[in-house]
Amino acid sequence: MAPVTRSGKDWQDLLFGLFLVAVAAGALFATRNLNVGNAADMGAGYMPRVVSLGLLAFGLFFCGRGIRRAGLAIEPVQLRPLLAVLAAVGIFALTAEKLGLAIASVVTVVLASFATREGRLRETVPFALLLSGAAVLLFIKVLALPVPVWPR
Amino acid sequence: MDLFDNLLLGLSTALELNNLGLCLLGVLIGTAIGVLPGIGPIPTVALLLPFTFGLNPAGAMIMLAGIFYGAQYGGSTTAILVNVPGETSSVVTCLDGHEMAKQGKAGTALAIAAIASFFAGTVATIVIAVMSVPLSVLALKFTAVEYFSLLVLGLIAAVVLAHGSVAKSLAMVLLGLLLGLVGIDVSSGAARMTFGIAELSDGLDFVPIAMGLFGLGEIIANLERPAQRRVVSQKVRDLIPSRADLRAAFPAMLRGTALGSVLGVLPGGGAALPPFSSYALEKKIAKDPSRFGKGAIEGVAGPEAANNAGAQTSFIPLLTLGIPANALMALMIGALMMQGIQPGPQIMTEQPRLVWGVIASMWVGNLMLLVINLPLIGLWVSMLKIPYRLLFPAIVLFCCIGTYGIANSLFNVWLMLGCAAVGYFFIKIGVEPAPLLLGLVLGPQLEENFRRAMLLSDGNFAVFLTRPISATLLLVVAVLLLALLSPVVLRNRKAALAEST
Repeated sequence: MAPVTRSGKDWQDLLFGLFLVAVAAGALFATRNLNVGNAADMGAGYMPRVVSLGLLAFGLFFCGRGIRRAGLAIEPVQLRPLLAVLAAVGIFALTAEKLGLAIASVVTVVLASFATREGRLRETVPFALLLSGAAVLLFIKVLALPVPVWPR
Repeated sequence: MDLFDNLLLGLSTALELNNLGLCLLGVLIGTAIGVLPGIGPIPTVALLLPFTFGLNPAGAMIMLAGIFYGAQYGGSTTAILVNVPGETSSVVTCLDGHEMAKQGKAGTALAIAAIASFFAGTVATIVIAVMSVPLSVLALKFTAVEYFSLLVLGLIAAVVLAHGSVAKSLAMVLLGLLLGLVGIDVSSGAARMTFGIAELSDGLDFVPIAMGLFGLGEIIANLERPAQRRVVSQKVRDLIPSRADLRAAFPAMLRGTALGSVLGVLPGGGAALPPFSSYALEKKIAKDPSRFGKGAIEGVAGPEAANNAGAQTSFIPLLTLGIPANALMALMIGALMMQGIQPGPQIMTEQPRLVWGVIASMWVGNLMLLVINLPLIGLWVSMLKIPYRLLFPAIVLFCCIGTYGIANSLFNVWLMLGCAAVGYFFIKIGVEPAPLLLGLVLGPQLEENFRRAMLLSDGNFAVFLTRPISATLLLVVAVLLLALLSPVVLRNRKAALAEST
């Protein structure tokens, strides 16, 4: 459940608003050179322009509402699960093609299990080896995924 | 009779040996993820999408559909036995189902839930078959103008009827639309927001986005909460309910089925709305409402029937009009597109074997669920003993491999990583990611139909209001949006949603 602490600003609204404004501004910038055209003869830039402006409007609306009204405080971010899971995915992307699926799987699982304090290496490592074997069997042997098993 | 021929065609497709196997596989996977809290059907379907590539379209859809309704089914098992809803849709089943289990009537509750689900599934299959024909005839009259209005209605209705703040959901739809625009513009060949990255020229794959937002983001947020201890005990016996139980449950089953069938068709209705509405209805019309929450059998039968009926009828907009009713149906559309089938009003006439095969397979799948579930309950319950600390690294790994597998591209893995971070951010600030997925999948069609409509009318926006079908659809949109502003609806909606969270 959400915490009962309230703060002077609605941070949920404010952060969402800022996020939308940033995305809209980025999109408007990235599509600034596209031909917009008009409704009867739409250019490639027509829809991106319309959608980005809509997003910008929503973003400003949430920013304004967030500043004016009080809201629920956001629960504090816990870095451990966030970083461990993201790092696990990152390490998979870095190693899968170079070191092969077998090694990448073990590294990914071990790294991911750092997300919780309950994990113990004595349990995690054998489990990772088991999963790696299962993944190689399932994805490479059965589903014929074209990724190397071992480093090449 | 057309309807009969269609159902026969569907049955002959669904009963082909490999389709039967895929259906069984789908409902088994679905039940498993339904039982396990912490993994929903959306990331599972996203995860399995790449591997349906090699299957024929009907087989792929049959399996993916099986996962969806299998999950609804599995969720109720854990709700009854351990008071842990495997899926949001089975939250209400906890109330009376677990209470029955505490009184030693777990077997009866499980059997009633299974029978109610099967009954509702059977009726809903017929409802789909009957409704599909007129809808698809209507759909053939659709031009780009009507289709655009229909897409708008689908998006707006999905937002209005679903969870969460409407304004935020609308913003999320726009965000999804924007992401859907990434890639080479079909008509001019200009690159849009590709930032010089070759992998982006075909547009963003929605699988890594769905897995990042729904799968990984959810896992990170789950890990922040302290682990729950679950106690699994009690032998399940007396699986055959008594006559008195059946007599008490049957009217609730009927009402639940009717309610679920109607609510399921509505966009955004999907999984959560029908069981809650059914529970409220049963409580309201009961002679002695105080029995509810203390093991009333109607409180299990009604919501379970509504739940299953709704899960199935939510396929109607998808199969007849190509409009997804919720994020999961959006993934189904993606599955069709990966198979090279353009979803839309023409799908029923062009792919009758596929559409009717999927419809018939739902009935077959429900029968399978009834047969495999009651004897196998011990197995499903023992799955709950797998601790989350082992479960989630496995999910992370399979998400990585699955995402890589769609196009053998590491870019998609990086994209998933980014979406996981964004998904976590969305959870933190209390924004539902489902509308984003709808926008992403429907975005390209929305633009294409708008472009064609504007070409037809020479840039005159009035065309959307001068054509009767389109005007009607937009009128519904206007009514929906206006209704939201009225204080009575606002209050009721808030109350209804508060009850369901």
